[in-house]
Amino acid sequence: MNKKANKDTFAYRLKKDWIRNRSLYIMVIPVILFYFLFHYRPMYGAVIAFKDYTPALGVASSPWVGFANFTRFFKSVYFARLIKNTILLSVYNLVFGFPAPIILALLLNEVHNKHFKNLTQTVTYLPHFISLIVVTGMLTDFSMTSGLFNDIVAFFGGERSPLLQNPSLYRTIYVASGIWQQVGWGAIIYLSALAGVDQQLYEAASIDGAGKWKQLIHVTLPGIAPTIITMLIMRMGQLMNMGYEKTILLYNPSTYDTADIISSYIYRVGLLEQDWSYSTAVGLFNSLINFGLLLITNKLSKKYSETSLW
Amino acid sequence: MKKRTILLLAAALSALMTGCSGSTNETSETTASETVSAASGEKLQYWCELTTTVSANYSNLGDTPFGKGLQEKTGVEIEFLHPPTGQLKEQFSLILADGNLPDLMEYHWISDYPGGPEKAIKDGVIIPLNDVFDQYCPNITKYLKENPEIDRMIKTDDGHYYVFPFIRGDAKLMNTIGLMVRKDWLDELNMEVPTTMDEWHDVLTAFKNEKGCTAPYSFEYTNGQFLGADPFVAAFETNRSFYLGSDKTIHFGAVEPGFKEYLTMMNQWYMEGLIDPDLATLKNDQVSAKITNGQAGASMGQSGSRMGTWTAAARGTTPEFTLVPAPVPTLEKGKTAEMGHIENPFSGRSSVAITTSCKDIERAAKLMDWAYGEEGHLYYNFGTEGTSYTMVDGYPTYTDEILKNPDGLPVSQAMSAYIRGNYNGPFVQDVRYLEQYYTLEEQSQAPIVWDACNGAAHTVPPITPTADESKEFSTIMNEINTYRDEMILKFIFGTESLENFDTYVKNIENMGLERALEIQNAALARYNAR
Amino acid sequence: MKVKKSKEEKLFQVFNYTFLVVIMIMCFYPVWYVAMASFSNSNLLTQHTGLLFKPAGFSFDAYKKVFQNPMISKGYMNTLFILIIGVVLDLFMTSLGAYFLSRKQVLFKKPILLFILFTMFFSGGMIPFYINLRELHLTNTLWGLIIPFLITTSNLIILRTAFASIPESLIEAAQIDGAGHITILFNIVLPLSKAMLAVMVLYYGVSIWNSWFWASAILRNREMYPLQIILREILLSNDTSSMTAGSSAMDTEAIGMTIKYATIMVATIPILCVYPFLQKYFTKGTMVGAVKE
Repeated sequence: MNKKANKDTFAYRLKKDWIRNRSLYIMVIPVILFYFLFHYRPMYGAVIAFKDYTPALGVASSPWVGFANFTRFFKSVYFARLIKNTILLSVYNLVFGFPAPIILALLLNEVHNKHFKNLTQTVTYLPHFISLIVVTGMLTDFSMTSGLFNDIVAFFGGERSPLLQNPSLYRTIYVASGIWQQVGWGAIIYLSALAGVDQQLYEAASIDGAGKWKQLIHVTLPGIAPTIITMLIMRMGQLMNMGYEKTILLYNPSTYDTADIISSYIYRVGLLEQDWSYSTAVGLFNSLINFGLLLITNKLSKKYSETSLW
Repeated sequence: MKKRTILLLAAALSALMTGCSGSTNETSETTASETVSAASGEKLQYWCELTTTVSANYSNLGDTPFGKGLQEKTGVEIEFLHPPTGQLKEQFSLILADGNLPDLMEYHWISDYPGGPEKAIKDGVIIPLNDVFDQYCPNITKYLKENPEIDRMIKTDDGHYYVFPFIRGDAKLMNTIGLMVRKDWLDELNMEVPTTMDEWHDVLTAFKNEKGCTAPYSFEYTNGQFLGADPFVAAFETNRSFYLGSDKTIHFGAVEPGFKEYLTMMNQWYMEGLIDPDLATLKNDQVSAKITNGQAGASMGQSGSRMGTWTAAARGTTPEFTLVPAPVPTLEKGKTAEMGHIENPFSGRSSVAITTSCKDIERAAKLMDWAYGEEGHLYYNFGTEGTSYTMVDGYPTYTDEILKNPDGLPVSQAMSAYIRGNYNGPFVQDVRYLEQYYTLEEQSQAPIVWDACNGAAHTVPPITPTADESKEFSTIMNEINTYRDEMILKFIFGTESLENFDTYVKNIENMGLERALEIQNAALARYNAR
Repeated sequence: MKVKKSKEEKLFQVFNYTFLVVIMIMCFYPVWYVAMASFSNSNLLTQHTGLLFKPAGFSFDAYKKVFQNPMISKGYMNTLFILIIGVVLDLFMTSLGAYFLSRKQVLFKKPILLFILFTMFFSGGMIPFYINLRELHLTNTLWGLIIPFLITTSNLIILRTAFASIPESLIEAAQIDGAGHITILFNIVLPLSKAMLAVMVLYYGVSIWNSWFWASAILRNREMYPLQIILREILLSNDTSSMTAGSSAMDTEAIGMTIKYATIMVATIPILCVYPFLQKYFTKGTMVGAVKE
């Protein structure tokens, strides 16, 4: 292709595009404006990670400190633990939390009684509507020695113990309650994907003598694979993005060992200790890892399954 | 307004964005003028925490009779701003982060502003008040002249005044937190109010075995103020944090041998089931429930909001329920405790600074200064004459509006509607409020019983690090405190063996404890030289 | 064509139904527990151990206290304001964006899509976000809880997929009739996507109803607090004293516990009630909305 011709085509395409889609571009202006104002402007604000931010001086004129805030984090006594906790918690969340709604959807798909199916769906959605504040409040109460969980433990002959003071149980409580809250809701998307799988394929498979299990492997899973992979990629990009909200509502010093993650650390140093620049630096570092994970997953997925986000 | 975005965006997009930022400014400005005119007007913005006894009935301090009267009497219109309960520090931090501040901010500027007041001045957050006091504040100037010890406390080393302080006007007001124990049970078991650690052990064991307590000793562990005041730590002549040693230098208690003994004992008690098993997550609700329904027999707290409230609540079902104050325990019988929680007259808490955003400093200063004069003093502590108090032989006596509120409000809430004397704020607290506040004999005993120690000699005065050292100091101490809080619980629960106490001490030292103590002691030397 | 069920299959069905019933119980029981506890007599409740299937004693006291608290009703009003205005604006903005991204043969679609997707995975962080809000004068106003959260990117992507599945021929026909994009969006695309819009209402509604952090960060005036902040004060800052202490001290029971549960019920029931109304659309909507790419 020669350069000039290419340019001409582009100009031509631009012109054609403008004539065709002008009103479309005007429509999207508020959306772009929104993203610019509330996503990209704060990203600019993240330069305070490289500064010693003093509010009185403002973002622009606070003095530069280079990577000092980052090196401070890398050298912090808590660095290794924070990374470990964040990774472990997110991996558990992924390993147990990601398949859970898929499995529920597959099971629900096998239910042929419509009323039972509807009932199950409705009941499993229920926890999604309960706010995090309430969920953590309930968890705290239930985990007390006199709480519901201990009532159940005692019912089966176990010994009562304060569950939220036990670092080795923290991740279980965190992940399990997350699954509890989201499994029904998360299954929705897979259920609809399942509904989209061509029924003729099943018929063909059963004529070939494939049992339920074989149908699952050869028809169902391939049928919903694109949905699964898209969801997985999205999830991977959020892997390190463990929100602080649940953690700060659920942890206490006796469980810091397993509970303290990067985002809760950011919350503490940024909001309780007012170390804004440092806290932003830690956040930026976290974002970078996230983004890297996303790129890698997307690339792998493109290579092996031809599904990608873009 | 051109800003460099750190983004790699298509050139076409950036053109679009620059085009947009013009209109961006317009939108933001219209929103701005709307909020400003709707919100502030000519009013002074005053940010402070709303105490729960107020928030029970009012959503804003300006809605209370106190707030309305204050504006009327001083002629200054105020817009009160409050953070949600329990979110004080978070919101403070965010307000500061953008540098656009309310005119007046009530806060603990010494301990909760990282780096302390001198740093706050240097950061351009608050203004030094020396000239302001001279020019506009005759009342506080007079008060400080009459009370040179207070004057010394409320200054920085550089001699800057920085707040309108909350001052406890009497020794009785300086110790507010102590131990309390079920007297009716003690009588039933033929036991005395415990004074030594061994006696405490016996009492708690008896509560457990004879009274079936599941949590014989329970207290609000998640409340930092309570942790700092813990009399059981004081029994071992140490402290969870900094204290003034007998050698007149500052020590960090949590690494001392005494602290190890304390942890050993707590661990033993915990294992024996004498301490609430849910310790780490305890909040006021749970403690209240346990005390009032007899799952717990001893606790720690204030004589008003804890002892008084619990007694009143429990007597509905258990008429004989009686809590009495217990002194700071000792290791040997008959000795007077050396340590104990006694606050400075000026602790730093709830003191109001004028921020750099304040445009009308004179008006703000006059508003605040009023509290330290005769009229203001009575108003802050007793409210409006004829409504909330009457003068009986020169003694301001609360009316029935307060003491037997017609709407059935408890005294603490009725008081909070009219005064700030029963909690805190920028004024001098009057002991005469306390004399009338306590309705139970046990409550009036509390200050006397709890005061029987030499604690005042070990309270660190309100020292302030220099602006340069402060960042270093707060960085070190944030790490140490996080680690300490975590380890203390592990030691108590036995998840970490006390044999590792030395490692724990070493770790804290490695985090820079020595440097922190150096900074503290230098600050103390400067304080003494004031 | 009917295939005879094999033995394994029957076994599987039995297992499947049992398993789902267990899941249902697990999802439902905690909610039931809270409901029963809220109707309990507080003294009996604190002494009660073991599972709770019916209220321990029976009492409306906790609800009385909750409804007497002026903050609860104010919180309701604020939450409703944010919810109604928020959901309407959210839908409008998300539709605009989704429509744009669902159109074919648009030159700058991909860069704009990337511009949007990028924000899902990279953010400036909490403090810069707050400073930005302040610079835009969106603190201490309820609008600050609406405008900065107008579009949730994942919702935008889902809605785009739904729009893209509308037959192109319909849109082309309208264009031939001279309809502009605005007309097409409002007269053709949106009416055809009613089910998906119902899903969006639910997605946005639930997240608005349950959000609390930014409200606690930007609001300085208690009059503006949404329900969740009040809930948080009650549940986590151990602040039922404000309600228990309100009654005359002598006959106060320690009803703190039941008040907590009653507050939970009061704050959760409304959002639970919305679901059945939208359920009809919901099942349909998510069918269309399945991520297909």
